Amino acid sequence: MDLTYTAAEEDFRSELRAWLQANIPQEWSRPGFWESLDDEESFQLRRDWERGKAEAGFAGIQWPTEFGGRGGTPGMKAIYDEELVLARAPRTVNPLGLTFLAPTVMAIGTDVQKKEIIGPLLHNEVIWCQGFSEPGAGSDLAALSTRGIRDGDDFVVNGQKVWTTNAVHGDKIFTMVRTEAGSEKHRGISMLLIDMHQDGVDARPLKQMSGASEFGEVFLTDARVPADECLGEIGDGWRTAMLLLSFERGASGISQYTEFRRQYDEIVEVARKLGRDQDPVVRGRLAKVLTDLECLRLHAMHVLTQVELGRDLGFEASMTKLIWSEAFQDLWEVFDIVLGEDATLDEVAGVDLRPLHAQAMWSRSVTIWGGSSQVQRNITAERVLGLPR
Amino acid sequence: MYFALTDDQREFDNAVRSYLAERFDGEAVRGVVENADDTGNPAALWKAAAEQGWLAVTVPEEHDGLGLGVVEAQVISRALGAGTAPSAWRGTVLAAEAVRLAGSPEQQAAWLPRLASGDAVGAFTLRGSAPGTLPAVEYGAVADVVVAPSGDGLTLVTGASATPRGSYDGTVRLADLDAGEGEALPGATADVVADLTDRATVLVAADLVGIAREALTRTVDYDRDRKQFGVAVGSFQAIKHALADLHVNVTMAEHAVLYAAHAVDTRPDGSDLAIAVAKAKASDVAIDATAAMIQYHGGIGYTWEHEAHFFYKRAKRLAAQFGDADAQRERIAALTIG
Repeated sequence: MDLTYTAAEEDFRSELRAWLQANIPQEWSRPGFWESLDDEESFQLRRDWERGKAEAGFAGIQWPTEFGGRGGTPGMKAIYDEELVLARAPRTVNPLGLTFLAPTVMAIGTDVQKKEIIGPLLHNEVIWCQGFSEPGAGSDLAALSTRGIRDGDDFVVNGQKVWTTNAVHGDKIFTMVRTEAGSEKHRGISMLLIDMHQDGVDARPLKQMSGASEFGEVFLTDARVPADECLGEIGDGWRTAMLLLSFERGASGISQYTEFRRQYDEIVEVARKLGRDQDPVVRGRLAKVLTDLECLRLHAMHVLTQVELGRDLGFEASMTKLIWSEAFQDLWEVFDIVLGEDATLDEVAGVDLRPLHAQAMWSRSVTIWGGSSQVQRNITAERVLGLPR
Repeated sequence: MYFALTDDQREFDNAVRSYLAERFDGEAVRGVVENADDTGNPAALWKAAAEQGWLAVTVPEEHDGLGLGVVEAQVISRALGAGTAPSAWRGTVLAAEAVRLAGSPEQQAAWLPRLASGDAVGAFTLRGSAPGTLPAVEYGAVADVVVAPSGDGLTLVTGASATPRGSYDGTVRLADLDAGEGEALPGATADVVADLTDRATVLVAADLVGIAREALTRTVDYDRDRKQFGVAVGSFQAIKHALADLHVNVTMAEHAVLYAAHAVDTRPDGSDLAIAVAKAKASDVAIDATAAMIQYHGGIGYTWEHEAHFFYKRAKRLAAQFGDADAQRERIAALTIG
C-alpha cells in the first residue's frame, strides 16, 4: 500500500498551486460572482482564463508532448483535477473536446486531423460540441436518425441533436450521422466533424429545470461537411464512438470527492445555522451520505492504481459512473432534510440558498446524462457480473 | 499510488480460501452448525490456522509470529467470513494484539508464542467488567485466556467458569463468563483500548465484507442458471439492477475495509473516520447482500438445507458487534459535524 504521489508529482502540484493562486482573481470566489454574469460573459471569461492556463503549460497534462501536452503521469492528472477544485477554478469550457475528442484523434485521426484539431483545442481556439443524443435516441444511441447524403466531396446532413453541452458557444461538433441509407442500429454510421458556423446549423439553448442552459439543441438542415472530415472510417462511426467514450475512464474521482466533500461541509454549515445539526435524523442521513463519499474517494484511488498499472478497467467504468452520480444525488437529497419545511425557499436565516439549490437541481441530471443509472446497472449486471442479457 | 493488496497479501488470501474450499467447505460448516454441543472451534481448522500462520499474523517475530499488520489480518478475516468458518481465530488474534500492545514483557513472553502457535485459544471482549460477568463472549468456553475490560483498563482473565449462550448464528459459540479479577495489562491506557477497539472493529468489518461478497457471488451464480418462465431469472431487470447495486456496495465496502486496515496500521489523518466508514458500510452491505441471497434464491433460499441462512445469521450477529451501522454513523457525524 502506498497512498502517496511521487516527488515529481508533488512538485507539479506545488507549481500548479502557485500558478492558480496567482491567476485566479479573488472576486471569482465571492458568492454570487458567476451568477452575476450573463451566460456569454461568463463563457468568454472562462474561455480566456483557460487559454492562459494552457499557455502556462497547465493543460493536456497527460497528453504526449508532441501534441503540445505535458507528457505527465495519471497521478499528475489526478492532482491537476483536484487542485483546480481546491482553487475554485472555473470549469473547462471545452470538456467534450479535451476529454473525448482529443485522445480519439491522437489514436485514430489522420495526420491532418491531428494537426488541425489538437493544438487549437488545447488553446480554446475551437470549442467542440458532441452530437450524439437525439430526441428519438437517448439511451438507445443506435436508434439515431440524423442522416448524411453524399453530394460530391461533401455529406449533406439533416437531423436534430439534443443535450448538446455548450451548443450555443460551439464552433465545431463531432456528430454521429447515419451515412448509409437504410442502415440499421450501429451499422452505417459515421462520426462527422461539422463546422457549426454555417447556415445549415442552428444551435439553440435548452432551458433546464434549474433555469440554466448548460445544454442546447442543434438543428442540422442541409448542413455541409467535407467527406474527409470524418473521424475514423466512413461507416465505422460506432467503433469510433465506443473508443471515444472509453476515454471517460480516467481518475477524476479524487477531484469529484474534493468537490462533493466541500458541498457536504456547506450543507453541514447550513444545518448549524438552522440549529438542525444536532438532530439525530439529520446526523444519521448526513453520515450515511458521507460514508458513500468516502467510499468514492477510495474507489478513485483504486481506479488510479489500476490506471498506473496499465490495466484496462473496461466495464468497471459503469460502476464508477453509478457511484459518483448516485452519491452526488443522495448528498443533495439530504439537503432537503436539513432545510425541512423551508426546503424550497431562496433564503433562510440570512443564507442565500439559491446556489445550493442550483446544485440540488443539477444533481437530478447526473444520473441521466453520460449513460443513465439504469443503463449502467444493466452494463454492470451483464458485463461485470455476467448475468444473461 | 498503490491502493491494492500486494502479491504476497493476495497469496495469503488464496491460501486461506483454498484451504477452506478443499478442507472445510459448507458441509463442514453445517456439521458445526448442527452440533451445538461441540466446541464450535473444529480441531482440523484450528490446526490449519496454527500451521499456516493465520493465528501468528500480527504477533512479532521475536515471539514466533509473522510480524504483519492489520492489512494482512483482514485478508484472513475476510476469507473466513466468505467461508462462514467457525473459528476462535479472531478472538485469539485480538487477545494477542492486546498482549502485544498493553502487556508487560513477562505477559508477552508467556502468551504471545502460545497464541501464535495455537497452543492457547484467546478471546476478546469489551462487554462487562472483570471481576464479574462477561456476557456472550465469543468462544469464551474454550478460551485459555480472555482479554476483558476491568475498570478503565484491560485484564487477562484465566480460569473463568463458562455458561453457554444459545445463538441462532451457529457458526460461532458464545458463553457468559464468570470472571475473576485477572491479571491487569499494565499498558492498557484509554488510547490503547481505543486502538484495540479499532482493530476489533476492522476485523469484524472484514468478516462482514467477506460474507457479503460470497453471498453476492453465489446468488449471481444461481440466478445465471435458475430458469423460470423459460429463461434464467438473472435475465430479469428487477433482479439485475438489485444485484448490480449490491455489487457496487460490496465493492465500496471492500475498499473501505482495506483502507481502514491500512489506517490502523499507519494512523494517517482521518483514521477514526475511515474505521467508522468501513464498519458502517460493511454492516449494511452484509445484511443487504445476505438478505438478497435468500430473496434471489427464492424458496430454496429459505430452507434449512440451503446455506444462505449461515451467511445471513452470521452477518446479523457481526453487524451489531463493536458498534452497528447507526452507532458508526453517529461517530461519523461527531467527526464531521461536531
